[in-house]
Amino acid sequence: MNRRELLGVAAGCVACAAVPRWLAAGDRVQPGLEASTEDLPAHEASWYKKLEGTKVECELCPQGCSVADLERGTCGVRENRAGTYVTLVHSLACSVHVDPVEKKPLFHVLPGEQAFSFAAAGCNVECKFCQNWEISQFRPEQVRNIYLPPQSLAEAAKRSGAKLTAATYSEPVVFWEYVRDVAVAANQAGLRPTVVSNGYIKEKPLKDVLPLLAAIKVDLKSFRETFYQEQVRGHLEPVLKSLELIRASGTWLEIVVLLVPTLNDSAEEVRDLSRWVKAHLGAEVPVHFTRFHPTYRLTNLPPTPVATLERAWQVARAEGLEYVYLGNVPGHPGENTVCPRCQRVLVKRVGYLIESNNLKDGKCPDCGRGIPGVWS
Amino acid sequence: MSGRYSRRELLGVASAGVLACRAGDGRAAVPPRRPGVVGLAELAPAGGAPDLESCRSAVARALAAATGRESGNEAVRTLFRPDDVVGIKVNCLAGKRMSPRVELVEAFARLLVDGGVAESRIIVFERSSRELEQAGFSIRRGGGPYRCFGIDNDWDRQPSISGAIGSCFARLVSEQCTALVSFGVVKDHDLAGVSAGLKNLYGLIHNPNKYHDNNCDPYLADVAQHLRAKLRLTVLDGATAQCHGGPAFYAAGSFALSKVAASTDPLAADAWAWAEIDAERRRRELPTLEAEKRAPRFLATAERYGLGVGDPARVERVRA
Repeated sequence: MNRRELLGVAAGCVACAAVPRWLAAGDRVQPGLEASTEDLPAHEASWYKKLEGTKVECELCPQGCSVADLERGTCGVRENRAGTYVTLVHSLACSVHVDPVEKKPLFHVLPGEQAFSFAAAGCNVECKFCQNWEISQFRPEQVRNIYLPPQSLAEAAKRSGAKLTAATYSEPVVFWEYVRDVAVAANQAGLRPTVVSNGYIKEKPLKDVLPLLAAIKVDLKSFRETFYQEQVRGHLEPVLKSLELIRASGTWLEIVVLLVPTLNDSAEEVRDLSRWVKAHLGAEVPVHFTRFHPTYRLTNLPPTPVATLERAWQVARAEGLEYVYLGNVPGHPGENTVCPRCQRVLVKRVGYLIESNNLKDGKCPDCGRGIPGVWS
Repeated sequence: MSGRYSRRELLGVASAGVLACRAGDGRAAVPPRRPGVVGLAELAPAGGAPDLESCRSAVARALAAATGRESGNEAVRTLFRPDDVVGIKVNCLAGKRMSPRVELVEAFARLLVDGGVAESRIIVFERSSRELEQAGFSIRRGGGPYRCFGIDNDWDRQPSISGAIGSCFARLVSEQCTALVSFGVVKDHDLAGVSAGLKNLYGLIHNPNKYHDNNCDPYLADVAQHLRAKLRLTVLDGATAQCHGGPAFYAAGSFALSKVAASTDPLAADAWAWAEIDAERRRRELPTLEAEKRAPRFLATAERYGLGVGDPARVERVRA
């Protein structure tokens, strides 16, 4: 967010937001202005249990951290304070932008609309190829933040002209209470709340928030447990379970698979993944294969060859998936939404831009086939 | 022992890959290490106000015992050069009641000064200035026997890869300090098992929260491996120690150990702390750290890396 945007949010927030009771006139922290964890009151976490003495066990994600007094979970944003587990990132946004919804990517959700996108610091895994590691792999006090409570965020989103909000960039699971409260405020403001996540979350917190969301995009990092252990510091099974829960909930779901050369890009793995998606989620769930670029701890590998992406696209379609996309390859035909029945190009994209949208009430104008998604 | 190395010292230096050579002023260009040796001196618990002189005497005797030198000053002259910038990382996580006491750190700093290190080249630091202040330190960037301030999120711009860790280290250590001292405490840690000298080093990386699983193994060894060229000395304030309920201060778990420990072998210092914690746990009929499946296994990993002696049974305690 540039200075002008920041000031815009700040001015709007100060003018419109309901100032919390604890925020007395003259306090330094105001919605939209820079703040740190020390400026804000502790916000008790919603998903944890108390253990013997002052220890707690986090029940938010499959890491299941057991946390002693003064310590934090693996996410780095939840801290045990004398037996009370608190989130340090509620209402503390480290990144705010207005993005095309295609950037998330959500290709079946209001094409061409803008998503008011926000993040707080932290992540519950550590992908060696993380593109946003400068916020996801840092603690909240190690990055610059603005105080942006849910109501202020929703108001700012409305003023920006966005139709959606998106919790994204880092890992929304670690600021799940903030995600939940933003979703409530966004729905009240007539916005569509969405989430971009790794899906590494336990069942209860996921179920608690899913009804509030219009859509989720989940990064399925690989279809191999070894990849999850070695490259992600997590496990595959909980993510698959989350995908099934999301699909069963009716909240719109799209999946992204970042293909990393030699590590998860084999035709065999793509085939296994595609078969599982079709069998457990359905052929109509969009799957995006996106291009890796060397970064963070994985700088010794080249960008994914386009031919590898195209092979994945072919394999997934051959397995029966109906909406397969390629990402980070601007202008490639794999960016387009095509009718599975008559092959008519329905939404033509160039990067994040919509060149044409031929959908009529969510259907193919030629053959009338309904295209699943959130179109209005 | 001045000017001569024991067989153990010589092997220790050789294992680091470089034979110590003598600089023009008689100091070792590569300071000798004494693998497996921990120097110990008595120091009363922090009940009353400890005076600087008793702290100074204790830390000097521990240093002399650790290095096999005649005096603390001589030990300092063996380990540090006048042109070194010495970073002293203190562990203040648990606040004033379970941090290295200010008087002891100051006594050590004065010993460095007497050994020829300029005051302006001695930096006592912690993750944040706030933590230092909570432990009783005064922030100062100039004047006095040392400078004292927090890292305060001044990290390397890119992560360094060392074994299983990928972390941005404190720029203070990466770019300014030529020598590092881990000045810790002796306490129980619910995940690492022991928080002494090595665990203190987690304060030098931006993402310690990522590396607490599997009892911090091999991550603590990987951090130490990254720092091995600079890490000259470990000093532990064991006047008051804690055998249970760490890493926060837990009064019922604390006890009077009445020791200051020093070692040029960072593993040996931790192994000694482990033994003392377990000894107190046995006295209280608590399960050992091993029985609770949180023994500091990172020590064995670090020993495989060639960083020192991590087995308490093989640590030589030299009492001043």
